[in-house]
Amino acid sequence: MAIDIARASNLVNKTPVDLAPVQAYEDNYKSNFKIDPFTIQLAQKLEYLANLDRLMAQNSRISVRNAGLDFRKTESFFISTVGSRIYQTIVHSGVGIGLGISKSRRERFVRSFPQNGGQYESKGYELLDEFDFASAIPRLAEEAIALSTAPDCPAVNANVVLESSVVGLVIHELIGHPLELDRVFGSERNFSGTSFATTDQLGKLQYAAPIVSLVSDTTHPYGLGSLGYDDEGVRANKVDLIENGVLTGYLSSRETAARIGRASSGAMRADGWGNMPLVRMTNTNLLPGDKTLDELLAAAGDGIYMSTISSWSPSDDRSSFEFGCEIAWEIKDGKLGQIYKNPTFSGRTVEFWNSVAAIGNDGTFRVWGTPNCGKGQPGQNARTGQGTCPILVTNIKVGRA
Amino acid sequence: MITEKILDIFKGAIKNSPADQTELVCESEEFYLTRFAENLIHQNMGRSDSTIWCRAIFGKKAGVARSNDATKEGVAELLKIAGDVARNGNDDPGFQSLIRSDKAQKSQGFYKTTFDYPAASRAGDVAAIIDRAKAASLTCAGTYQTSATALCVANSLGTEQFDKTSEYRFSLTAVAPGGRSGWSQAAGRDIEQFDFLTAAQRALDKAAYPGEAVQLQSGTYNVILEPDAVANFLLLTAFLGFGGKTLHQGRSFMSEKIGQAIMASGITITEDPFHPAMQFMPFDYEGVSRRKITLVENGIAREGVYDSYYAVLAGKTSTGNALAPDNNYGPYPKAMVIAPGNSSADELIKSTPSGIYVTRFWYLNYINPMKTMVTGYTRDGTFLIEDGKITKPIVDMRVQQSMLEAFSNVELVSSEQRLIPQYGTLMLVPFLKINNFNLSAT
Repeated sequence: MAIDIARASNLVNKTPVDLAPVQAYEDNYKSNFKIDPFTIQLAQKLEYLANLDRLMAQNSRISVRNAGLDFRKTESFFISTVGSRIYQTIVHSGVGIGLGISKSRRERFVRSFPQNGGQYESKGYELLDEFDFASAIPRLAEEAIALSTAPDCPAVNANVVLESSVVGLVIHELIGHPLELDRVFGSERNFSGTSFATTDQLGKLQYAAPIVSLVSDTTHPYGLGSLGYDDEGVRANKVDLIENGVLTGYLSSRETAARIGRASSGAMRADGWGNMPLVRMTNTNLLPGDKTLDELLAAAGDGIYMSTISSWSPSDDRSSFEFGCEIAWEIKDGKLGQIYKNPTFSGRTVEFWNSVAAIGNDGTFRVWGTPNCGKGQPGQNARTGQGTCPILVTNIKVGRA
Repeated sequence: MITEKILDIFKGAIKNSPADQTELVCESEEFYLTRFAENLIHQNMGRSDSTIWCRAIFGKKAGVARSNDATKEGVAELLKIAGDVARNGNDDPGFQSLIRSDKAQKSQGFYKTTFDYPAASRAGDVAAIIDRAKAASLTCAGTYQTSATALCVANSLGTEQFDKTSEYRFSLTAVAPGGRSGWSQAAGRDIEQFDFLTAAQRALDKAAYPGEAVQLQSGTYNVILEPDAVANFLLLTAFLGFGGKTLHQGRSFMSEKIGQAIMASGITITEDPFHPAMQFMPFDYEGVSRRKITLVENGIAREGVYDSYYAVLAGKTSTGNALAPDNNYGPYPKAMVIAPGNSSADELIKSTPSGIYVTRFWYLNYINPMKTMVTGYTRDGTFLIEDGKITKPIVDMRVQQSMLEAFSNVELVSSEQRLIPQYGTLMLVPFLKINNFNLSAT
């Protein structure tokens, strides 16, 4: 059957495909985890969730409660005519809660933790110990209640500080996706779209402010996009995407990399045995700056602080966008003030990234996991990481949903 | 792909099950897809796989497990896991029982010609489209897929269902040298009835439309939505309001509004799985026969769709709209039809002194679900209408619109309908003329 399908492709395709070279590897890669979550009894996991639910139920005004755990172990074997034989075992863990208050039947205010949909990392059951739910839940409950009487976010241009998980999804949508080289060349033209970051701008486009640098890093120890090898047998590595604000690289496969005369970035991934690999994000990591969160707020002066993504909508070429968040605070003289509900921010991608005025330091860095990145036809799901810090962006358009 | 013989494995497992009630479901798909871009085939594939779900019930505790092992041993292991999940879980006070269903009517939606359509024929069809595109100096990207799906449901109350459907789906984006694009898609059960060149030509014509795209100001416009754009809105609207879960929880825009006007009087929406254009799988994932349900009639909210769980809670009977056992969305309509109107698509345009023609939307996402408010973009064929004629292409715009408000502002409905596939649903929808639609410059 596979041969019939390949011969059918030749009815249209007449030119041989060039592939960037790859070394042959024999390896057995195992991702970083201390406690295999599949050794934990189901009853213990369910009790963990029941305890989170009890904590959320302590505030009687909270009428919406959800808690989730997610564990995945993937074993794969890659063998190629290049000579590689690669066995990989990768464990992912995820945990998260959402709680909310219904003001009326059709007005609901929700807060999530650690981020909307939970936090996923390339770790074992030990991930659950990293989050202090007992402290977070009372605060989140009070925020949800406060949102129910809060004013809408004003529709203005403002200095905005974005909490780091928000920056994670902004990187994912506005840097990761547009730098997928198959997308740049048009492979996703009929579905996910194209990219404004075309190859003629490589090394030239001032994509972001000079303080912004990003790498694609499959070697990160805990990112959801951490791998030993991609699904073409390319070894994990670190590739510059944006250096000092300038576009310097792409996420690529052997075929797409060959078209720009480079080595593959090792980003070719399938979501299982039944689908063909596509160029996908791995860990798209922002290099930290030098500010604490308090210093970012102080640098904003008067502005708005937004936390926890709730909605996202980028244009098909990723040149413009609108994001919504669960909550915002007024920043007054560098300090947090009143809460705003239904905050959004929107704009044009290159203008937005060139408006980054300050970036959080090492202490604010975390690789946020996105377990549900969709791409391709048939649809494939990828798990990606975004290493981020909070950032200050000046004079961007904010509004209300 | 599985055959009806899997029922024997299911019945054996159910007979030996220690659970109070047991349900086994298998969905099996054989899927072929030719994907092309830059006027080349870049992804050509076939895939055959099955998903098996087991739901085990102990008292009011339910456990669900899923695998792709359809062997006798695999099903027995799955049942053991589902039982462990149930025993360790909490009681669900809302759960009453699984449901027994009589044999459903036979599917009319399986065509062997679709199932057997060879890879060389798909590639040949794609080659013909690419030749047309090249002749018009256009570049093509698209998909051409054929598939067959078998669904089997059995439970310990005696439900035994098995049937299969076939489907083809086609989509095309044609791109002009300057980057402007046109889109079309099509779907159906019988590939022998599919005129792929006519479907393709719609996209080619849009991409080749002369003139430079003009930028419009943000504002409210009268719009003509093509069926693709209508389906984009209908799917997201249905998620918020037509399912029994949202109705039971009072989150639906139809909650407490049954019998009241919620949309324009020209809008009638049904779940119509046996419509000749649909020929949907005749039963749902609980084995309950599907049936026609009127969701909105002449703008008046009528009723939602239910699975057995939410039917009990609402004091109704299941409408055959259960999703797979491990879903948490609740019941959902998968074969919606917006009834046709009396005007041709051309008449909708001719009746518009000033407006915008929208081919489809992109990346619609809820920005305020409680207000049915979505945001997204127009894409792949957006044009200015002046004095009742399409006059020039326009730069795509951002949508920020309450969907319910849009369905309330429908002025005209076309007589022509198209079958639009989205995710696991099919929608048969017309063109709509909608007034006061919010669009902004990007």
